[in-house]
Amino acid sequence: MRGGAVRTAPPPAGAPVSRPAAAPPTERLRVDPIACRGIGVCALTAPDLVELDRWGFPAPVDGPLTSAEREQAARAVRACPRQALWLAPPAHR
Amino acid sequence: MSAQPAAMASLMGVSTRPLPLGRPAAATEELSPQVGEEPRGLLLRGALVPRSGPADASRPVHDDLAMHLRRVGPLPRVTAELLVRVEETGLTGHGGAHVPVAVKWRSARRGTGPLTVVANGAESEPLSAKDATLLRQRPHLVLDGLLATASLLGAVRAVVWLHGDDHRTAAAIETAIGERWSAGLPGRVDVVVGPSHYLAGESSAIAQALHGGPALPTVRRPGSTTTGRTLVHNVETLARVALLARGHDPVPTVLLTVLTDVGRQVLEVGTRTPLVDVLGLVDPHATAPQAVLLGGYGGTWVSGHTAARLTVDEADLRREGLSIGAGVVVPLGPEACGLSETAAVAHYLASMSARQCGPCLFGLPAIAETVTALADGRASRRDLARLRQDLAAVTGRGACHHPDGATRLVASALEVFAADVDGHGRRRPCAAARFARLPLPPVLR
Repeated sequence: MRGGAVRTAPPPAGAPVSRPAAAPPTERLRVDPIACRGIGVCALTAPDLVELDRWGFPAPVDGPLTSAEREQAARAVRACPRQALWLAPPAHR
Repeated sequence: MSAQPAAMASLMGVSTRPLPLGRPAAATEELSPQVGEEPRGLLLRGALVPRSGPADASRPVHDDLAMHLRRVGPLPRVTAELLVRVEETGLTGHGGAHVPVAVKWRSARRGTGPLTVVANGAESEPLSAKDATLLRQRPHLVLDGLLATASLLGAVRAVVWLHGDDHRTAAAIETAIGERWSAGLPGRVDVVVGPSHYLAGESSAIAQALHGGPALPTVRRPGSTTTGRTLVHNVETLARVALLARGHDPVPTVLLTVLTDVGRQVLEVGTRTPLVDVLGLVDPHATAPQAVLLGGYGGTWVSGHTAARLTVDEADLRREGLSIGAGVVVPLGPEACGLSETAAVAHYLASMSARQCGPCLFGLPAIAETVTALADGRASRRDLARLRQDLAAVTGRGACHHPDGATRLVASALEVFAADVDGHGRRRPCAAARFARLPLPPVLR
């Protein structure tokens, strides 16, 4: 968990998201295993970040996301029909 | 307490005498008031309980309110000093996870909204009976700790949470609450009897149930309100808080449940007691165990060789990557098959899944099947490799820690019974493989 405060404000809507070295990587991709039904859309929309286990349930990468990864993660969050994924701010374990 | 000689402290608890196990003890002797003395421990004496199920059959030695007050005095007004005491003494939870109490209190203080404090007496671990024993022998100590915590943190509700099948414990607590009410003591406590299933004792399940939901584990997500603001403590932890609140030194003991051929025994021993001394105390005629199960069915196996140099002190065990968990100790005799025992327990734990999370719902039965195949001598090397993959795949993937306990147990079995894994892997099951001895509640399918 990073202790430093986020100094930069999130980019305004429509602004290019992947700007390396801008905002420090802070958020994590989390899955609510109770809400999840193993549909697997997350693994299709965020193949670099989500792996499915042999029963079809997602295991997202651990640790803070880079700004490039954040875009893919946000797509997976939006795509989940069970709304089982979310981006957790650093304070939320 | 701290001034006691080490030799005495080594086997303290239960009045430092051999346990009055199996025969009715001279209860009046144990219950004689210790005016002006420090409380010697949490339990009045040990208990012998049935091998499985609730600790119901034993007739409780009950500390009524007058005896309780003679022994430890009234609960003083709770001030912020208690938080400092808890922090200084490093009190940790005794429900299994050993989380520092001060950490939980600080995080409870940061929240907003009405706070509920819970004394968790729902002992889901099938082997553990120390919580029920404590609640029956010293109900007022637990209630004091609960009310002190609730008062310190400004809680609006104090609850004792019990399993649905633990009728006599519920009766003991109700009686104690009645005594306090008659005596005009302040503080209101609700006894809430939950369902009897395994995960009804899990803290997020309790929190959700007390806020109108099902008694099932839940996930904390941003903005979720299903659990309200709830602080859940094990009853032994609260009994210790009750003594700290009175200014007593921390009681250097640990409550254990030990399952041997003699039966299932609850006892209180000094934290520095060697594990072998505990085993010798409860079953003097037992041969040296090939392995010892520490922490119960969600715990770890340790080899007899390793066990010989361990104490029951959690700090010591942590250094070895082990834990006493909720205080369960089970020696496994030299004739038993550790893999078969593990397979039976793994099936039981799989059946106790709340069936909410995929990795636990599908992973635990798969793991249990492979361990059974291993014990039966019909597992290939590929099966063994897949078992290791499954253990890694399931660990940490549930909403609660139930699957983690199961994978911890199986992983420790592969290590401690490595010779058997090797032998059985070459299709040579041992003669003992067919008989699992650990008592298991009926597996529900």
